[in-house]
Amino acid sequence: MILKNERYKAVNYLKSHRKGLLISLLFIAVTLISILGYTDNPIPLGPYKFEYPANFGNRINIPPDNPTTQQGVYLGRMLFYETKLSAHNALSCASCHKQELAFTDGKAFSRGVDFKLTSRNSMSLVNLLWARKFFWDGRATGLEAQAVIPMSNPHEMGQDTAISAKKLNSDKQYHALFKLVYGDENITGDRIIKAIAQFERTLISANSKYDQYLANKYQPTTDELKGMELFNRSPQADKGIRGANCTHCHGGAKNYMELFHNNGLDSIPKDKGIETLTGVATDRARFKVPTLRNIALTAPYMHDGRFKTLNQVLDHYSDHVLQSPALSSVFRGESNEIGGKQLKLDPEEKKQIIAFLNMLTDSTFVTDPRFSDPRLSKNKTKL
Amino acid sequence: MKAFRHLIFFTLFGILFNTVISYAQSVKVTGEVAIPLELKLTDVAQMPQTTVIRKDKDGKDHSYSGVILATILQKAGVTLGKDLRGENLTKFISVEASDGYQVIFALAELDKDFTDRNIILASTIDGQPLPQGDGTFRIIVQDEKKPARCIKQVTGIKVAFAK
Ligand code: HEC
Ligand code: HEC
Repeated sequence: MILKNERYKAVNYLKSHRKGLLISLLFIAVTLISILGYTDNPIPLGPYKFEYPANFGNRINIPPDNPTTQQGVYLGRMLFYETKLSAHNALSCASCHKQELAFTDGKAFSRGVDFKLTSRNSMSLVNLLWARKFFWDGRATGLEAQAVIPMSNPHEMGQDTAISAKKLNSDKQYHALFKLVYGDENITGDRIIKAIAQFERTLISANSKYDQYLANKYQPTTDELKGMELFNRSPQADKGIRGANCTHCHGGAKNYMELFHNNGLDSIPKDKGIETLTGVATDRARFKVPTLRNIALTAPYMHDGRFKTLNQVLDHYSDHVLQSPALSSVFRGESNEIGGKQLKLDPEEKKQIIAFLNMLTDSTFVTDPRFSDPRLSKNKTKL
Repeated sequence: MKAFRHLIFFTLFGILFNTVISYAQSVKVTGEVAIPLELKLTDVAQMPQTTVIRKDKDGKDHSYSGVILATILQKAGVTLGKDLRGENLTKFISVEASDGYQVIFALAELDKDFTDRNIILASTIDGQPLPQGDGTFRIIVQDEKKPARCIKQVTGIKVAFAK
């Protein structure tokens, strides 16, 4: 009886408060939707924390006027994949720097907006946080200074950054993003460049089999170990010690040392490399020693993409290093044969060195959703 | 005809001269200095020469000649000698090569009040110019066991405070 009475009361209560209830339900629904909406597109805020193994060292490069923030990195990532930064909206940075190819494009030379080819091979973008000089000839001294060049180069993206800023200005989503990063909605070429540089600094690869081996988490195969030994040792033919001494230029935990050398590709080179900048003939056809990280993914090889496979690269170092006044002294008279003029590796050794080079592939890096196009990524929330 | 021969002579001479020049590297001394310097082979040749003997990659002793680094630094007004005290003891030089290789020495390693070990900017080996590939100038560190700081192809010396 009491129950029945209570129910009656409740029904009556509902009837008299229907309006209020509707409003509350509506309120709850709106909050729920906005919470859902928020988690669908959360741009995290605050300083960006770089994570990398201790053996990479802390000699990193961040200019004081462009500190890395999470929102800045997000904006930079949007811009890295933004075709509006090029003439006719034809290309983005990612056209020549594709994540699945460790940010190269698989071509000897890349086609720009004017359908002309670039004069050099596209470079892998990885662990740039530690780099100081950029391009094959090291002519750009920071990521900020670097990024302007492909944007305005008529054979690459072919568009002044001022025009890019104007084009982004007519895209509403960028207003909010620039405000989040820089405090106001002003879109400028300088701000575009800074955000892209912030994103590039986050492209850290530290999970190859080689990294795992250095962290005692991976036991290399016999071939990988033999290859590693050859890679790291210089030959001493008179003592019967065999080696390839690649480590002299390509060594270290990051597989990159920022050196500039002539590795004997030509006697009379077409591309004079850093001699063009210094005017000194001993700099002829000297180029940046590129990173070997993810090298199995970044064919074709060398500044002009002349070698299609790692086999061809090993054949070069073993048998075809050409003499010239600028040839690195490392290649002068270093041989596995007594009195030999070339390095002279046998086929088995080449295979072993290639097995080691394959250890440098970091498959988590090339699939990491944090580095992919945010417009396609289903992992926005994971940022 | 004679004029023509002269023309050929001077053109050839010009080509030769230019190649010689363009192979030569110079060394810039910068950073915490009173007078920044850019030294060419001819400048260095006029300074007092010191000879250091040490083994090279071939395992044999060689005699290297050049200028004691401290002499060059003093010319640039770097705080050596009686000025090498207090915070100046946290100064170092970073030597850079044209291939990007870099090594450092603390100022105290270079000062003759601290050590008798000679560290020179060498420009000759056994009386000859340095071999091709080693550059115009090379640092030679007396008695240092490893050759890693005997940096070749030197193009820059920068003086700085350790931060
Ligand atoms: C048309 C193809 C193309 C486009 C588009 C392009 N790049 Fe490149 N990128 C290259 C080539 C080719 C090189 C090497 C050029 C050289 O050394 O002269 C390079 C080199 C670089 C390097 C130097 C890497 C190193 O280790 O030194 C960075 C960084 C870079 N690009 C970033 C970018 C960014 C950021 C964008 C977009 C703003 C971009 N690139 C757009 C082709 C391209
Ligand atoms: C004296 C320094 C030096 C040594 C020693 C050396 N390299 Fe290189 N390596 C270079 C330079 C410089 C380049 C780029 C040359 C160019 O493109 O003109 C290069 C390029 C490469 C490339 C192509 C990279 C790319 O992204 O295109 C591979 C692969 C490579 N080296 C592997 C090796 C191996 C394996 C060894 C040992 C057998 C070795 N290198 C020894 C200086 C060196």
